Amino acid sequence: MSQREHKENYLGARGWVWAGRYQMERHLYVLHRVTGLGLLLFGIIHLIITTFFRMGDKDTWESAISVTHNPVLKVGAYLVVVAFVFHALNGLRLILQEFGFGLGRPTPPIYPYTDALRRKRRLAIILIAIIGILAVVFLYDFAAGGG
Amino acid sequence: MRTRFHLIHLVTGVLIAVFLSIHMVRSHLDDILGTDDPTSWESMMSRATDGMWVALYIALLAVALYHALYGLRGIILELTPSARAARVTTWCLIAIGIAAFGWGTYVPIHLLSG
Amino acid sequence: MAERDTKQVTFRIQRYNPEQGGAPRLEEFVVPTSRGMTVLDGLIYVKEDLDSTLAFRASCRMGICGSCGMLINSYPHLACHTQIEEFHSDVLTVKPLPNMPVIKDLVVDLTPLFDHHRSIMPYIVRPDEQEMENPTAEFGQTPQELNDFLQFTYCMKCGICVAACPTSASDKLFLGPEALAQCYRYCADSRDSGQRERLRLVDTDHGAWHCHLAGACSESCPKGLDPALAIQLLKRQLASQALGFRKKQLPSPVVSPPTESKTRIPYPEFSVKAKK
Repeated sequence: MSQREHKENYLGARGWVWAGRYQMERHLYVLHRVTGLGLLLFGIIHLIITTFFRMGDKDTWESAISVTHNPVLKVGAYLVVVAFVFHALNGLRLILQEFGFGLGRPTPPIYPYTDALRRKRRLAIILIAIIGILAVVFLYDFAAGGG
Repeated sequence: MRTRFHLIHLVTGVLIAVFLSIHMVRSHLDDILGTDDPTSWESMMSRATDGMWVALYIALLAVALYHALYGLRGIILELTPSARAARVTTWCLIAIGIAAFGWGTYVPIHLLSG
Repeated sequence: MAERDTKQVTFRIQRYNPEQGGAPRLEEFVVPTSRGMTVLDGLIYVKEDLDSTLAFRASCRMGICGSCGMLINSYPHLACHTQIEEFHSDVLTVKPLPNMPVIKDLVVDLTPLFDHHRSIMPYIVRPDEQEMENPTAEFGQTPQELNDFLQFTYCMKCGICVAACPTSASDKLFLGPEALAQCYRYCADSRDSGQRERLRLVDTDHGAWHCHLAGACSESCPKGLDPALAIQLLKRQLASQALGFRKKQLPSPVVSPPTESKTRIPYPEFSVKAKK
């Protein structure tokens, strides 16, 4: 009998973003990946701008900087700061938990089942609170007119 | 084999958190801290002629390039490329990293010395 | 049964027939449901009374065999372990588990899962091969040593963690939460000595480091197995081995059976005595 064709059913890269009905860490994973790629993109642009325009004289630099003072790019710059704060703090959580710290020990599965991440959910909530506070601090400075 | 590279990825991640925090606080908290506008030419040149700042920027560039490109390689590998495509990706990212580090180091040192 | 309140629930079931080909489509069936009915009961009703061509896998209908894993309202779960009532909805969408090939309707091909499982040496490895092949006694293990991995032994290979894992969604070569958790289960076993070789197998471009701790596997696991915890502990072993922290551990010794048997304690008298 010939082998029938099976239907491929992989979610693909859509499965990274599509977080289904899962809880917090699944969404933190999506944000970590998105902010990581965003910071990489910004870093490349930032490197190009700060090197090429710095090679010129004062006028070239200041004309380039004046472009970044438009409101859209300022919001963009603020998002980069928030993305960095999130990626850094969530990354520190991942480093700790990937080595099994802050996860606890294996426990016998007794109904209703729970898991290590759910038992330590408070850690992630505190983390998000710190990110929120830092985001407000930076927002205050952006609103005050800095750059 | 992968563990070593991944541990470097984690260590560079921590270093970026430290270095980039200094950079972010200097660039974006100027109103709260009461420092001068970091985007002005004078402020920029004062940092460009200060050896400590140049060293910080170069160190940040090195660890950030490793962390970012290794992370990007991991994401690309998760798309199930063929073994050949994975190899090409790795070497392309290494080339991009070396080129970006070379250019990003040449400019500040050139400005510092001349 | 007939006196209980019944509620009409529409099952939107994904159909795919390999002999007809084409794209999978959703087909609707109206199922009268009552309190306590599981999704699997609904599927059995559809197959018996509405459309006998519907294909799904089920065996024990009590959360032990791991056959009926499927995507119920965008969440991978055992159909026998999910009550229709808990959704508070008139419409229920049932699809096959993602991240695995579909054979027909709700039946998925678990071969990739088993291949990955086999590739990480899921058995006890001993240096003394003679003892392994022809055992003379049992390998000793204390209850404390058993507790280090007992939670991870309850896996029934239902494939739900693989369906939940975001890395498995795109990476077909990724070992998956199931195989990595089972890798830790054998590495943490005090009777085992194959740890070095097993860690080499998961230390690849599609191995343990592509777990990013999204936690979806642990959340959806119908056996409360916590694969995410097992994978993080596996990463800890990998890191401490790479950094040279790892002490060389010998597998637990062979324990000969006790030579002298204890005297039997006589059974207490339980028989009902006649009233005087």
